[in-house]
Amino acid sequence: TLRLIYTTTAAWKKNVAASGPEKYTEAFIKKQIEEFNLGKRHLANMMGEDPETFTQEDIDRAIAYLFPSGLFDKRARPMMKHPTEIFPEQRKIQWGEDGRPFHFLFYTGKQSYYSLMHDTYEKLLNVQKHQDQLAAQDLPPQKEKKNLVGSRWLTKTELEEMLLEKLSDDDYSRFIQLLQKLVMMPCGNIEENYIKKFSREISAQLQKVVIEPLKYDEQGVAFSTGEGARKTSRATVTVYDNGTGKITVNGIDVLHYFPVLQDREQLLFPFQFLDRVGKHDMVCTVSGGGRSSQAGAIRLASAKALRSFVTEKEVESMRQAGLLTVDPRVKERKKPGQEGARRKFTWKKR
Amino acid sequence: LDHGYALHTAAKDCLSSVLSQDVQIPAERPRAVFYTNETDPANHTEQHEGRHYSIPLEEVKAVFPHGLPYRFQQQVKTFNEACLMVRKPALELLTYLKNSNFAHPAVRYVIYGERGTGKTMTLCHVVHYCARQGWLVLHIPDAHLWVKNCKELMQSSYKKERLDQPLQASSWLKNFKTSNEHFLKEIKTQQKYVWGKRESTEQGRPLGEVVEQGLARVRSASDAVGVVLKEIKQQCHLGSFRVLVAVDGVNALWGRTTLKKEDKSPVSPEELTLVYNLRKMMMNNWNGGAIVTTLSQTGSLFKPSSAYLPHELLGKEGFDALDPFVPVLVPNYSQREFESCYHYYLHRKWLQHEQARTEAGKEELRFLSGSNPQQLERLAGPL
Repeated sequence: TLRLIYTTTAAWKKNVAASGPEKYTEAFIKKQIEEFNLGKRHLANMMGEDPETFTQEDIDRAIAYLFPSGLFDKRARPMMKHPTEIFPEQRKIQWGEDGRPFHFLFYTGKQSYYSLMHDTYEKLLNVQKHQDQLAAQDLPPQKEKKNLVGSRWLTKTELEEMLLEKLSDDDYSRFIQLLQKLVMMPCGNIEENYIKKFSREISAQLQKVVIEPLKYDEQGVAFSTGEGARKTSRATVTVYDNGTGKITVNGIDVLHYFPVLQDREQLLFPFQFLDRVGKHDMVCTVSGGGRSSQAGAIRLASAKALRSFVTEKEVESMRQAGLLTVDPRVKERKKPGQEGARRKFTWKKR
Repeated sequence: LDHGYALHTAAKDCLSSVLSQDVQIPAERPRAVFYTNETDPANHTEQHEGRHYSIPLEEVKAVFPHGLPYRFQQQVKTFNEACLMVRKPALELLTYLKNSNFAHPAVRYVIYGERGTGKTMTLCHVVHYCARQGWLVLHIPDAHLWVKNCKELMQSSYKKERLDQPLQASSWLKNFKTSNEHFLKEIKTQQKYVWGKRESTEQGRPLGEVVEQGLARVRSASDAVGVVLKEIKQQCHLGSFRVLVAVDGVNALWGRTTLKKEDKSPVSPEELTLVYNLRKMMMNNWNGGAIVTTLSQTGSLFKPSSAYLPHELLGKEGFDALDPFVPVLVPNYSQREFESCYHYYLHRKWLQHEQARTEAGKEELRFLSGSNPQQLERLAGPL
């Protein structure tokens, strides 16, 4: 079998549910739940809160207060949660005392999967019967199609969690095809409730970046603000309209603050791109980082501020030019056993 | 584009300038608007503000043997002409000079401003005017050269505690000779000066002899400089000639030096003969002339680079010594001056890049240079 290396960590998570019959007995889980509830009341008493109305968020806060941890991974920190969240669901033993299995499809091996397919096909046949009835009565079939755009089917892992047993890709695709067929049929709306169990809503569109409208100060001059960051520098910028191209940084003129031409060219770039070189005044405050990163931060901030002055198409072109993207490059960490982030120690043959 | 723009600004000029001067403008139109044919600084008025005027090259050699900044000299060599822009501070100084009463003690003018705004060029403009008017010009190109990097320091023969600088003194004397030839014959010494065992200058000999003496015997060059300054100071109040003392980087006279004596102790400026004599010249106890000086941060020693105001660069001592003076601030280029400089470079085909010729290019240059003349000149170089 191939051992996948270049995958995400999500693929390595063991699907404990499907691995085998229960490792924790039911009695054990019940005891854990009782202990949890008792512990919750004790914790509420300790914190001086009301035990009856002590929610999970309160528990989390109390634990974080009592056991402060500096570990980076949140999952490694001490936690107190309901046992059902900690101990994953497992299949109960599926045969009785006499050895006879409860479910009729046990000997297929994937009993829940096949029972699911069975049920779904039953629904399909129902729908077909309904359709035939309508056709026999010469009534036009209902055409209210459920909108599939905002929803998606369950993923394989989600289905596995639901069924508590492992699936293969082939099985999964067959199930999805069946669901599709069910929905495609004209009278599929009857079984909507059933189908809803297997579809998830895709959250609303990616958050559209809101462009703030222009603000006007006392003299009636339009201005807008923007913030930008690069490496360790943070910059805030106000761009005023009807200007001459004068720029002030931290109260100092731009020629004195950035004597190097390269930095001034960085500041020039957003204005030059929009052909508004001498038209705006700018007042900036910047802190942190070195001269180049400060220049980059101010550039990003001014580009963000200029969005309010400019049409949407130009905003799109700015985005494509890379004026609005935060530069993700930061200083790489030095590793032990090496002199720097990449540089190794001098290699001596002996 | 050039002609269209020229016509447009010429039209604006017609509307805004003084009516009596209107007649001159059509005559100047054959050349681009940012030139003026008026080569005599005496006739420069506000109407010529922002325009370049050219100085014939022989005059440049005669009047400024050592005065112009290095980059400007290179530009003169490249363009084969020396063009200076007429700017407001220079015009101000010229009006003061024209209206000054020479019976009163000499007025001191201090030109100050940020780095690279054109202080030295303003000084050169004034020097040119005075040279044209026939004044005796004592131009010290950079006083900072006298207080640092001196290879030879000798003990002065005249006064034991003072130190001489033969190299700087002799070079200055040489340049002084080229710039003020005819005065050297006219002015006569009023006292006998003994240079050594065998050399002496009698009373009544022309000053040229003193200068020759200083050039020939380099050891006594600093003393020769001192003698020249003393003679000029004593005789200028008689009124036969006017004196302009033009010092660039005057803050060097009152700051610290980087020179050290043989026993590694630092030298203060008073101990240098040249500086001592020049300080006497800067006093306003003589009349019949003017003193125009420039503050300079670039060559200054032990001063932060953001300092440009007089009291910062001169220090307490210098400020008290020069007080009272007339300060003249030289700002960065205004809109008009920037356009003028840009069109000058364009006209001389110095800006070769195609984008430099467009409006967008001009705006870019304006932004990047911040309307600072030095920055603009450096930017335009590689283009």
